[in-house]
Amino acid sequence: MLELQDISLKLGGKTVIRQVSLQAQPGELCVILGPNGAGKSSLLQLMSGYRQPDSGQVSLAGKPLTGQGPASLARQRAVVEQHPALPAGWRVSELIATGAYQTRAMVSDSIWQQVLVLSDTASLQNRTLDSLSGGEAQRVHLARALLQLLVSSSLERYLLLDEATSALDFAIADAMVARLHHIAGSLGIGIVAVMHDLNLALRHADRVLLLRDGVAVASGKTAEVMDKQQLEAIYGVALAELTSPDAQVRAFVPRTSD
Amino acid sequence: MSRTLHVCLLLLAALLLTGLGSLLHGSGISLYALLHPSTLPLLESQLLWQLRLPRLLMAACSGMLLGCAGSAVQARFRNPLAEPGLLGIYSGAALVAALALSLNAGLMAVSLAGFAGSVLALCLLRTLAGQASGTRLLLAGVAISTLLASLLTLLITTLPDGALRSVTFWLMGSYAGAQWQQVGLMLLATPLVWLGLFRHWHLLNALQLGEATAFHLGFDVRRGSWLIVLLASIAAGVVVASCGMIGFVGLLAPHLARLLLGSDARRLMLAAPLFGAWLTVGADWLARSLLAPAELPVGVITSLLGAPFFLWLLRHAKDEHA
Repeated sequence: MLELQDISLKLGGKTVIRQVSLQAQPGELCVILGPNGAGKSSLLQLMSGYRQPDSGQVSLAGKPLTGQGPASLARQRAVVEQHPALPAGWRVSELIATGAYQTRAMVSDSIWQQVLVLSDTASLQNRTLDSLSGGEAQRVHLARALLQLLVSSSLERYLLLDEATSALDFAIADAMVARLHHIAGSLGIGIVAVMHDLNLALRHADRVLLLRDGVAVASGKTAEVMDKQQLEAIYGVALAELTSPDAQVRAFVPRTSD
Repeated sequence: MSRTLHVCLLLLAALLLTGLGSLLHGSGISLYALLHPSTLPLLESQLLWQLRLPRLLMAACSGMLLGCAGSAVQARFRNPLAEPGLLGIYSGAALVAALALSLNAGLMAVSLAGFAGSVLALCLLRTLAGQASGTRLLLAGVAISTLLASLLTLLITTLPDGALRSVTFWLMGSYAGAQWQQVGLMLLATPLVWLGLFRHWHLLNALQLGEATAFHLGFDVRRGSWLIVLLASIAAGVVVASCGMIGFVGLLAPHLARLLLGSDARRLMLAAPLFGAWLTVGADWLARSLLAPAELPVGVITSLLGAPFFLWLLRHAKDEHA
C-alpha cells in the first residue's frame, strides 16, 4: 500500500499541502481531482519521493520513503510527469528503453511487446521524438514508465501519472485509462493519477481524492465522493449531472452561466 | 550499433591518416623510414621523437578530452551550447597558468599551475553553487568564469612586453614545445576520463530527460551531476594546463557526433572524442603549415574553422529545441 499520513508541504513559504492522508491500494486506480493550483502535482511529487514533506509521512509497502535511495524507489514506482522532456535526436525506442536503466538487465522481447501493446506505441517505436504529437509523446512516456515497472521484481509497484492523458483525444484517453485500469487489476499495480477530466475519473477510478487549496475535501470510493454538490463546491461552477437512459453511464457537464 | 561502429572506424581511419600527414609533412621522413625508425638519421630521429610525436599525441589527447568533456557537459545541462569553459574551468586554469608564465616559470610548472587553477575554479564552483545541480550550477559557473577572466585581463595589463607575448600566445592555444612529461599526463588522463564518463552513459541519457525524470528512473541526480562536472573539469583542466585555450572543439565535436549518430550518450562518448582528436590534429597540421615556417596558434585555427562551421550547423541542422 502507498500511504500518506497527515502530510503537509510548504513551497516558497506557502502551504501547498495541508495534512492530507491517502491510501492507494495495489490493483486499484486512484484518481486525484481538483481545480488548478489545488496541489495535485505537489502531492504526486511527495508520493514519488521527489519532494520530502515538512510533516507527516509517506510510506510504500510499509516502509517510509525517507531514507530509501532513488534506485530502491525506482523499483517500486514509476512516474509520468506533466511535461516530460523530448530530447532532440532520440528515437522512441531509445526513450522507452530508459525505463529499464535501473535494472540494467536485457529486456525480454515478450515484456517489450507487452509494453508497446499496453501503451499503443508499437507503430511509433522507430520514429524520432521530435516528430511526435503531444498525445503520442504522452503514450511514449507512459510506455517508458510501464517498462520500468514490468522489469522490476518488486512485489508492490505503483504507477504515478500527472495528467498523463491530458493531450489524448477523448476516445484514446478513455481507452488508455480503461487499459491502465485493466493492467492495475491483472498485474496488481497500483495507479495514482492526477486528472482534470471528471468523467474519465467517474468511469474508471476505484477511489477518488478531491483536493482544494492543498486540503483533502473528500476521499473514498468513486461513487461516494463524486457527488454533484461536492464537485460544484470544489470547482465553483454549477454542474448538470446526466445519466444515460439505461442508467449505466453518469456524466457531469458544466452549466453555462448565461 | 553497426552504424556507430562504421562511423567510429571511419573516424579512426581519418584520424590516423591526418595524424600521419601531420607527422611526416615537411619533415623529410618517409613512410618507410617511419616504419623502420632504426634507419632514420639522428636529426630526423630527434625531430620525430622529440618534436613531432609528442606534439601529435598531445593534439590527439586534447581533442579527445575536449570531445568527452563537451559531450558530458551538454548532456548534463541539457544545453547544446554548454561547454566546459562555461563552468569557469578554462578561466581558472588560464589565470593561474598566466601568473606562472609571468613569473618566468618553466613549461611543466606552467602546466601544473594551470591544472591547479582548474581545480581552484572547481572548488570555487562547489562552494558557491552549494547543493545546486542544474541551471543554478551553470549560472554560478558563468559568474566564476567572468570573474576569473576579468582577473586574467587585469593581470595581462600589468605584464611587461616579453611576458605579455608568451601569455597571449599560450592563451590562444598551441602544441608547440610539447614535452613527454605533459604528454604522459594526458595519456594517463584521457582513458581515465573517458572510462569514467562512458561508464555513466545511462545517467547522461537520463539527465537529458530532466532532473526529475532521472530521479524517477533511479539515479542519484546530485551526486551523479557532480561526478560528471568533476570528470569534465579534469579533462578541460588537463587540456588548458598543457596547451592553452583550444576553442570550439568541446562544442563542435559533440555536435558533429550527434549529427551522425543521434543524442544517445553511449554513441556520443565513442564518436565525439574521435571527432575532437581529428579536429585538433588537423588544426595543428594547418597551424604549422599554413604560414610555414611561421606558426599560428592552434586555437586560432579551431576557432576560425569552428565558428563558421558551427553557424552552418545551426542553420542547416534541425532546431534541437523545436
